[in-house]
Amino acid sequence: MTTDAAPLTVVTATSQTRRKVISVLSHAALIAASIVMLYPLLWLLAASFRPENEIFTSGISVLPSAGWSIDSYFRGWNGLRVSFGQLFLNSLTISILSVCGNVIACSLAAYAFARLQFFGRNFWFAMMLMTLMLPSQVTLIPQYVLFLRLDWINTFLPLVVPKFLAADAFFIFLMVQFFRGIPKELDEAARMDGAGPWRIYWKIIMPLSMPVLATAAIFTFIWTWDDFFGPLIYLSDLRQYTVMLGLRTFTDSTGMSDYGGLFAMSVLSLVPIFLFFLFFQRLLIEGIATTGMKR
Amino acid sequence: MATQVDTTAINGADRVASPSFWSGVWHNHAPGYLFLLPWFIGFFGLTIGPIITSFYLSFTHFDLLTDPRWAGLDNYVRMFTNDPKFAASMRVTFFFVIFSVPLKLAFALGVALLLNRGMRGLPLYRALFYLPSLLGASVAIAILWRQIFAGNGLVNQVLAVFGIQGPSWISNPNTSLWTLIILAIWQFGSPMIIFLAGLRQIPQDMYEAASLDGAGKWRQFWRITLPMLTPVVFFNAIIQTIEAFKSFTPAFIISGGTGNPINSTLFYTLYLYNEAFGFFRMGYASALAWVLLAIVSAFTAFSFLTSKYWVHYDD
Repeated sequence: MTTDAAPLTVVTATSQTRRKVISVLSHAALIAASIVMLYPLLWLLAASFRPENEIFTSGISVLPSAGWSIDSYFRGWNGLRVSFGQLFLNSLTISILSVCGNVIACSLAAYAFARLQFFGRNFWFAMMLMTLMLPSQVTLIPQYVLFLRLDWINTFLPLVVPKFLAADAFFIFLMVQFFRGIPKELDEAARMDGAGPWRIYWKIIMPLSMPVLATAAIFTFIWTWDDFFGPLIYLSDLRQYTVMLGLRTFTDSTGMSDYGGLFAMSVLSLVPIFLFFLFFQRLLIEGIATTGMKR
Repeated sequence: MATQVDTTAINGADRVASPSFWSGVWHNHAPGYLFLLPWFIGFFGLTIGPIITSFYLSFTHFDLLTDPRWAGLDNYVRMFTNDPKFAASMRVTFFFVIFSVPLKLAFALGVALLLNRGMRGLPLYRALFYLPSLLGASVAIAILWRQIFAGNGLVNQVLAVFGIQGPSWISNPNTSLWTLIILAIWQFGSPMIIFLAGLRQIPQDMYEAASLDGAGKWRQFWRITLPMLTPVVFFNAIIQTIEAFKSFTPAFIISGGTGNPINSTLFYTLYLYNEAFGFFRMGYASALAWVLLAIVSAFTAFSFLTSKYWVHYDD
């Protein structure tokens, strides 16, 4: 390294300008790409604040020519037989319960796989990894029949209970990876003080694992909030609908006439995700980045 | 290191002190199984049980209301010999996978390389490019997409600026699938972040050594960056391909649940959903699910088997 460094410091004037030109060009490319990528989102946001008659005559402009209007939000909010407030409450309930379920159940399983010795551990761990690859369509119909027999259709139970049974193996895997990185000496010291596995899990592993628990919680919230397929199958009463189902119903029931209301509610449906993005951006990106990495 | 010695001593004492064989077994193995209890219930009740049931159902006719009727191989025979919609959905899904995955990964890698130059504003760019991936799974985005590619939509308004009269992208069977491919590519953010993390792990001195030997940027990319990155490429390709096979919501929203025009957006999962919950052909849908499982397994097995020829692990 030390011998390599010497020739690199000899930077000629031309290579320096060259580097500057490249830097400017790549910034320009990135800015252009960002605009193209974000433009649809900006357009959606702008459309939701336009007077109804202006939505499709405004061309590609993002700014309204006749001023802002929040009428679309009022029309959209009351556009279904049930107010969107109820749907937001439903989505929120399902998402929060799912977060609790995933964090509790997955961390319990991950603790067993990462820190406890027991007969058959490697076998069960391999089984868990295999479920990661399994397309959910394979279990879909028997699960539906099961929930139908249990009389759980049109309740939140089919959407929430599986989370309390650690059905999202992806998070178990993520947590196992993290728990393995916590020094074993801590467990051993606690065990010497007479702590059992439950206390070690609760007093040592969980407090030290906040980053991975938060990652799991945030992704669970966002994915559950966004989930369309589960609610589509299990919820049939409009009063039980989630926001995503409501949006879809909106496009059907109004014959796509009230675009303003549809866009306004679409924007609102993205707000929780966007807020998570804003506050936990760093954590989300680290969560993604470590997912695929061998530790 | 004192703790190391202490703990072994305690563990040893513990083992001697345990009063009987069975309490030792209980003491050593029960906690693991207790911690795994919720997972076990889920694993057997929601995964293994349903897998077995689904396999059985795939050999029956089952409409949910009456008991399943044994049908032998009927469902599978019908699928492969007498079901144009099955064939169409296969074509659509493979077309989607073959075009969306490589293009998405190429974009992800390209932008990751641009961002890996240690430039200013990296966190901002990274966040901006990741945002569509995070929002993209939402119904709202699918609705937006349908609007963007409608006859009087945003894309055609942009084209009109250049004097081009665009088609009605969504209702034209030649272009409708491409709108979904573009939507998938638009969400290149999460593979990009994994690429970025992978690029950061390539030792910098390899590049320094290579440039001393006179290797240009292009050669450095092909000889160092790409080979060192193959484990990440492999991981991204597998994850994205499986995700693409399972894609559902955008096609459902954009085609109004039908897979039209002329089945051009009839994704495999959409067809399966319609058979199961539209026509209540649960047996047939189970058979469709097993074919999907076979395809995804075959793809995964194939990837892992061939990976030793092109994925380089340094350890």
